[in-house]
Amino acid sequence: MNIIVCIKWTPDTSEADLIVDAAGKDIKKDDLDYDVNDWDRFAVEEAVQIKEKMGGQVTVVTVAPDDAAEMLRESLARGADEAFHLWDEAFEGSDGYAVASILAKFIKGRPHDLILTGTLADDDCGGQVGGMLATMLGIPSSTLVSKIEIQGTNIRFNRELEGGLGEEVEMDLPALVAVATGLNEPRFVSIRAVRKVASVEIPMLDSGEIGLDESRMGPGGSRIQIEQIYLPPEGEGAEIIKGSSEEVAARLAQILKEKGGIG
Amino acid sequence: MKNIFVLAEHRKEQLRDITWEAVAAGRKLGADLGADLTCLLLAEKVDDMAQSLAGECRKVLAIEDPSFYTLNSEALAKALVSVLKDMGPYMLVMGNSNSVMDLAPGLSVALDATLATDCFGFEVRDGRPMALRQMYSYKVNALVSFKEAERIVVTLRGGAFSFGPSGQGAGTIEKLSSPLGDEKPRKRFVNYVEAEKGDVDIAAADIIVSVGRGIGEEPDISVFESLAESMGGVLACSRPIVDKNLLPKYHQVGTSGVEVKPKVYLALGISGAFQHIGGIKGSPLIAAINKDPRAPIFRVAQYGIVGDLNELVPILENKIKALKKS
Repeated sequence: MNIIVCIKWTPDTSEADLIVDAAGKDIKKDDLDYDVNDWDRFAVEEAVQIKEKMGGQVTVVTVAPDDAAEMLRESLARGADEAFHLWDEAFEGSDGYAVASILAKFIKGRPHDLILTGTLADDDCGGQVGGMLATMLGIPSSTLVSKIEIQGTNIRFNRELEGGLGEEVEMDLPALVAVATGLNEPRFVSIRAVRKVASVEIPMLDSGEIGLDESRMGPGGSRIQIEQIYLPPEGEGAEIIKGSSEEVAARLAQILKEKGGIG
Repeated sequence: MKNIFVLAEHRKEQLRDITWEAVAAGRKLGADLGADLTCLLLAEKVDDMAQSLAGECRKVLAIEDPSFYTLNSEALAKALVSVLKDMGPYMLVMGNSNSVMDLAPGLSVALDATLATDCFGFEVRDGRPMALRQMYSYKVNALVSFKEAERIVVTLRGGAFSFGPSGQGAGTIEKLSSPLGDEKPRKRFVNYVEAEKGDVDIAAADIIVSVGRGIGEEPDISVFESLAESMGGVLACSRPIVDKNLLPKYHQVGTSGVEVKPKVYLALGISGAFQHIGGIKGSPLIAAINKDPRAPIFRVAQYGIVGDLNELVPILENKIKALKKS
């Protein structure tokens, strides 16, 4: 079983104070901490678990600048067998479609029975790359997947619908599966495991080495263009209760009581 | 732009509410771009659903095939490519449901179209449509344009477009024969899986205290259980809490968890991703405590406190207990 896991290097914006840059087309990212996209962490773990059960080879790949090497190395420590780092300055400014094009070109020439990735990334909130990549490769795909089982030449899994309902679905391999968070428990990585992979070489491939046409990458290969980025006005919606902790708690308790929130 | 197509979404032979939201968005886009609106219905049996759609849409294109019993993305993509390939410039509008998340990205590639997902608004500038969506943990708004604007696919944020019946009367229904051949499908629906039932039913609760990622890496859940108990309510949570196995899945509020409508919803450390907000629509009182003043939850809450939960929760519980005694 050859498993390729596509992972993304994303800024942690969940609790950071975000500032729009001077051009008004992105946020300032210099002060943000980057890490592997939360959803993709589960994809790496799932790949390693499938390999441990069935044998095979896990390859991790990302389209990301230099710093992302750290995330690839961590994936090796988690049990992946090899990692590839795809980067070229010309990749800067790629949208989901361009990233899918880059990954498709890289994966096309390599054996792949199963491609795993996360359903969404927290930066673009787009959820596009998996499904696009699968169609570019001509294989079936699904998102929001949990509880994966490989059955011979098929993959059977559950996926989430709304309201707690799920559906059980089966696909022929090769296939792409974009996982939901929570489908497994990503393992703790020991210092020993990190040391073991410290000297493993992680090849970095540029557009020429991938064999990618210039028109397929960066802003030129993208289809969506950001015209303007802005922060919604602060405090829009809620009345923000201000005062000391004692005061705000007392006021909130009072409101809860009035609205039937103390039963 | 010549045509606006709206994909009707259904489950277990019923149209889903998000279909009407997509019709509302499609109508508005049609008016702004001077384009005609057509509903696309692909189902195992189309008659009843096509009738309902024709009450609100001038034109309904319907295709029957057993493969469309669910919104199987492989079957739908194949059929939609066959229907749309000769349609000239168009925009395809769909709800950003969990089924469409499976469909839209691959379909956009197969149609050679530009895709924007999870849009909550549209603008038209110089006759060009642009979409509003969110980025960076749903904290930043982005206005995006479509570079190849001949074929556009958009998916819509649930709840962002409200539908009102137009009362325009019956539209036409055209049935097309199924373009799916004998080729064996590579993706097959097996069956529905019902949610696991637990010892509490948060959907039935009047008072909910709900906790999210912001309660910390190794939180003491009993602190929040105690607060919920003092309020006479139940404890619920957002997705990250279930992912970390801190509470069972049946405590999870959101579109892929349980949709709730309590009298009072107190959100603690919940940032308010749209999947979560989708599960609390219609709750009369939403109050939130979060340390990030820009957390999206404050846009749907009526009352908010920006502060530290570890400090505030015990004080709040004391105040509540004091109010109960008085």
